Amino acid sequence: MALSRQDAAAALHDIEQAQARSASLENYHRAAPHFMIWGVLWAVAYTLNDIYPLRSGAIWSVVVPIGVIAGLLAMRGRNERTWRYAAVIGAIFIFIVATVVVMWPVNARQVAAFIPLLVALTYVLKGIWSGVRYVGLGIAVSAFTLLGFFLVKDHFFLWMAVVGGGSLILASIWFRRV
Amino acid sequence: MATLNALSEGRQVEFTRLRAILRITDGNLGAHLTTLENAGYIAVTKDFIGKKPRTRIALTRAGRKAFSRHIIFLREILDGEGSERESR
Repeated sequence: MALSRQDAAAALHDIEQAQARSASLENYHRAAPHFMIWGVLWAVAYTLNDIYPLRSGAIWSVVVPIGVIAGLLAMRGRNERTWRYAAVIGAIFIFIVATVVVMWPVNARQVAAFIPLLVALTYVLKGIWSGVRYVGLGIAVSAFTLLGFFLVKDHFFLWMAVVGGGSLILASIWFRRV
Repeated sequence: MATLNALSEGRQVEFTRLRAILRITDGNLGAHLTTLENAGYIAVTKDFIGKKPRTRIALTRAGRKAFSRHIIFLREILDGEGSERESR
């Protein structure tokens, strides 16, 4: 079958679109378990934070390693470079510690808002490159965090447990869908 | 094949997910897959999760190579080098 240049151009266009859609959906599918893990951990950690406001450091120093280990386990058996996942979490963690040290004195409420805002920024940046759903998630987490920070006076941590953790859990369900 | 080619090597996709991604019917997808399987371009694995049947599809190495050749062929036509060649 002889193909014209127009046919070839159209076929290549269709192929590129199919590959882009497939890659984007695959990306969402792989991210979904991580959102479920961190959504549940956020919900648990912020709830504990609300009950024990002076134990933030202890709570998160347990929760973060659990999240990293669970994330690595979720990637087991896949053809993925797990060191990248650990490196990204490590880089974010070091950046947060460095920022808090530079900005000190800060209160727990500020730190509790800053971390989700930073995480939301990474979602938006990732979304700009690889999928609009990440942008939606980033905007939602940012909006809920700012809303809670300025409007929820007494139980900001509980607010973050419900809407922060809840956003990630819902994102996990959304990201699984085609 | 473009959809499967975008996935990492050896990655299997469930039939139902592939159907949703491609937005085509069971019969249409099944016919395409049979053709590709007969050509050795995809590997189809069938098993059960409990009592529920599951069909997974992956692009084979031969399929990936054939797809790359097809892309090169299309690009050659665009570049004016292969407009009269037969699609392989």
